[in-house]
This record gives sequence, structure tokens and C-alpha cells, in this order.
Amino acid sequence: MNRPRHYRLTTFALLVAALGSAHAEDTEEVLSTSGLGHGDEAPEIIAMGFGDVGYISKDGSSEDGFAVGQIVAHINATMGDSFGVFGEFSMSARDSDYHTSVERLIVKYDFSDRYKLSAGRYHTPIGYWNSGFHHGAWLQTTVSRPEVFKFGSKIVPIHFVGALMEGLIPSGRLGLNYKVGLGNGRHSNIAAAGDSGDINSDKAWMVQINAKPVDYYGLNMGLGFYNDEIPLLNGTDVKENTVSAYAVWTKESPELLIEYLHSEHEQVNDSSVNGDVDSWYAQLAYRLSGKYHDWKPYVRFERTRVDDSDPLLGAEGLDYDGSILGVRWDFNSYAAIKAEYRNEEFDGGGRENNFRVQVSFALVRM
Amino acid sequence: MFNQIDNLKCKLSLILVGVLLFSVAPVLNADELAVGDAIAIVVHKDLPVDNLTLEELRSIFLADRQFWENRTRITLLVRAPQSDERSFVLERIYQMSEAQFRQYWIAKMFRAEVPRGPKIVLSTGMALDLVVAIPGSISFTRADAVTDDVKVIRVDGLLPGDEGYVLK
Repeated sequence: MNRPRHYRLTTFALLVAALGSAHAEDTEEVLSTSGLGHGDEAPEIIAMGFGDVGYISKDGSSEDGFAVGQIVAHINATMGDSFGVFGEFSMSARDSDYHTSVERLIVKYDFSDRYKLSAGRYHTPIGYWNSGFHHGAWLQTTVSRPEVFKFGSKIVPIHFVGALMEGLIPSGRLGLNYKVGLGNGRHSNIAAAGDSGDINSDKAWMVQINAKPVDYYGLNMGLGFYNDEIPLLNGTDVKENTVSAYAVWTKESPELLIEYLHSEHEQVNDSSVNGDVDSWYAQLAYRLSGKYHDWKPYVRFERTRVDDSDPLLGAEGLDYDGSILGVRWDFNSYAAIKAEYRNEEFDGGGRENNFRVQVSFALVRM
Repeated sequence: MFNQIDNLKCKLSLILVGVLLFSVAPVLNADELAVGDAIAIVVHKDLPVDNLTLEELRSIFLADRQFWENRTRITLLVRAPQSDERSFVLERIYQMSEAQFRQYWIAKMFRAEVPRGPKIVLSTGMALDLVVAIPGSISFTRADAVTDDVKVIRVDGLLPGDEGYVLK
């Protein structure tokens, strides 16, 4: 059957018109779903999830086996240009059940780049790792966090309940940022934050300055100070001062993370009862190139030393040495497999080896 | 005889399909960058910004800077994966691979450092329409596709047609 010439031209014109108008519908959809462009303050909600499943094999242990890591849910709600709510909730496997926890819950108001005020429950901005990777195993190169920053750590107060002001410092090419916080500080259970209120009248406070120099794109260096007074269960109070410093190079070829923490603890009524904690780790990774681009081998070395005389941590047996050698394979855009050999020594108890494999993933479309 | 006619019809049909596809091809590939093409940085016309250094542009695209001087929230509009403009910007401004870019933004949202990730736009037309519709928005497009409805920002003092323009 012959089609007249004008029929083909009409078909072509309709096709071009359809292509041209398609973006108008997409544009309208973005505007209507986000509230952008017309000042809508209805919440725009973004949900994300993270999780991991692993296998652990230890020297001389009969408990080798599979382990479900954390299942983490995130809600990020924006209401208008400046106000937002952020929540992070986790489920962690226990022997016979799951423990659920509110890891972070933050209400935030951004006045400008220089002044962003928030309140709630945070990961304490001490050093880089604790507020850099949170509970996202997929985001971190390695299977697990450094020992000093592990969840439930007694050396670093992992959580901070209070208020935080943060923002840019006008500093030209230095790229300085600040964070200043005031909060409840540690609970008598020193691994926990004072979630439901402060247990003494002395608030914890912290300050952190970091630099992202524009001439060294990828470099981030920071210094921080944390102060608290902790009422122990035995009735004594202990002052805590922690200085932290870090330097990270976030480009992946190479990726370098170095952190150092020094804490001083002193009994309030008797300054002769005191002790220090020193801890550091250095992690080096390298994203391979070409057809091996999905692979990233890494090493990490860690060390923690606690004075026996430390009134807060001296009796806890927290000395640690660790070496890690591993490789990460990003087999999918949102999932990775990591295999890691670890050689560790806990509180001088002899070296032990273990091997871990982890599949971690992110449930978000970007 | 009938077989010959059928073969002839079949060949003519294939030729017609080929001609049609050839005609449509420039439309489908309108976003393809040729060597030497420049990328223009475009913003809403009312925004009181005319020039940015490459470092300032990078800090905006990385969301290290999230507000304009007039305190309007910056809305970043980024082309969908596999567009040439996106590949260009990832290479020259972000200096990241597609995977690194994705992980960067997931981490940024995860740390509660940004209220949302960049808005993904599917075409040059959509990018320009959204720049017009959203005060505070910034995007990028082929320089020859820019319309009068948006403002082109100078980068390091230069416009896309200027000698030494960095996003070329």
C-alpha cells in the first residue's frame, strides 16, 4: 500500500513534536513533586536504606558463621528552603532477637552557608569517621569501623544529644568550616549518650574546625576539642578533655584516612587520679584503573593505649593493636563485596587472626 | 514476478525507514557534544550573580556552598546519566567517575549535609525550563542551546565563546 508523501512528513512532524513536548511534562512533574519554584512547604521526603550481611571466621573459634549486620533506614524531609528533619533508625542482630535504635534524629534550620542550626541526636563530630560514615557500611571502604570508633565504644562518645551550630568560615582558598555543639554528654553508662536528659548540670561542649583547601581538591583536615564532666556510678565525677585531629584525601586513587585522638581524664575531687588515652589509625586504599576499576584494595593499622591509672577507662582493658588487609569489589552501582583479613590484639591478650566477608548495599536511587 | 515485486517493496520500505531514522537522528542526538563545544553554566535570570571562579562553581556543584549571596537556596540541576554534558561536568568540575558521583551524593544526604540531592533533568529543554521556573537554580548545557530566558554565568571572567574559556 502506497503512503502519500504528506503522510510521511506528518508522521515525522508528530514525532518531533512529541519529543519536544516530553520535557514539558517532566518539568511539570519535578515542580509538582518537589515544591520547588512555587514556595510549597509540604514535606519532600527522601527515604534511604543501608544494610549488610557477612561471614566471620576466627582463629580457634567454634562460632564461625554468617552474621546479619545492621539494617538502617533514613528519612530526610525538607520543608521549604531552610527547615528539615533527618532521622536514622537501625536494627541490629542480637543472639535471639533484634535491637532497634534511634541513631540520629535531627531538626535543622539553615539560615545561610555560614549559620546552620540544628538540635537532636547526632554522631558526635569528633574526628572524621564518626560523623563521616555513620551506619552506612556500604559508604566505608572497609568491613568495619576502626576499633576506637566502633559502635558502643567507651573511648569516644559515639552519640551526642544537644544542639549544633555549623557553617562556612569566610577564609578564601582555605575553605574553613566550623561546628560548635552543646549537649548532655555521656550517661553514667559511659558508652551511652544522655538521651532523655542530662544526668548532671555540666553540659558537654565541643568545637571542630576543618579545612577543605580549594587548591588541593579532595583534601580535608580537621581539629577538634570535646569537654565533658561524667558522673560515675561510684559517686565520683571525672573531667574529660579530648583533642582530635585528622587528615583525609577522599579521592580514591589513592584514598587516605589518618586520625589521632588524645583524651585526658581526671577525677574532679582529686586531680592526682588521672590518666590519658592515645589512639590513632591510618587507612590507605587505592581504586584500580581500567578494567579493574571496580576493585579497591586497602590496608589499615590501628593502635589504642589507655593508662592503667585512667579513672574512667583504666580498668576497661581497651588497649588494642590491629592490622587489616582487604579488598573491596563494587560489583554493582549500589552494592559491594569486601573481603578482609585482620590480625588483632586486645589488651595484650595475644594476637588473633580472623577473616571477614561482607556484602553491603545502599537502597536509594541517585 | 510477484516475488520480484515483493522484494522491491521490501527494499523500498527499508530505504524509507532508513531515511526516517536518518532525519530523526539529529533530534535524538541533539545533546551530543562535538569536540570544541563549550558548556554554558546557566542560572535564573533574576539571580544577582554574573561571574564565578571555577573553584566557586565546584563548591556549588559539590553542595559545599548551598546558598547564593541573597540567601536563596541553590537548586542544582544535573543531566541524567549517559548525557555528554553530564560526562563533561563529571570529568571537569567534579573530577569523579559516575560511581564516585553517585556515592558522593548518597553520602552527602546520609550525613544530613544537604536536604536533597541534585535534581535530575532529562534533556536540555527540561534543564532550561526548570532554571526559568526555580529561583536559585543552576544548571549546565551546550552553549549553542542556551535561550534568552536564562542567564549565562561567566566562569573565571569568561563566557563560552571567549578564548580560554575553561569549560570547553
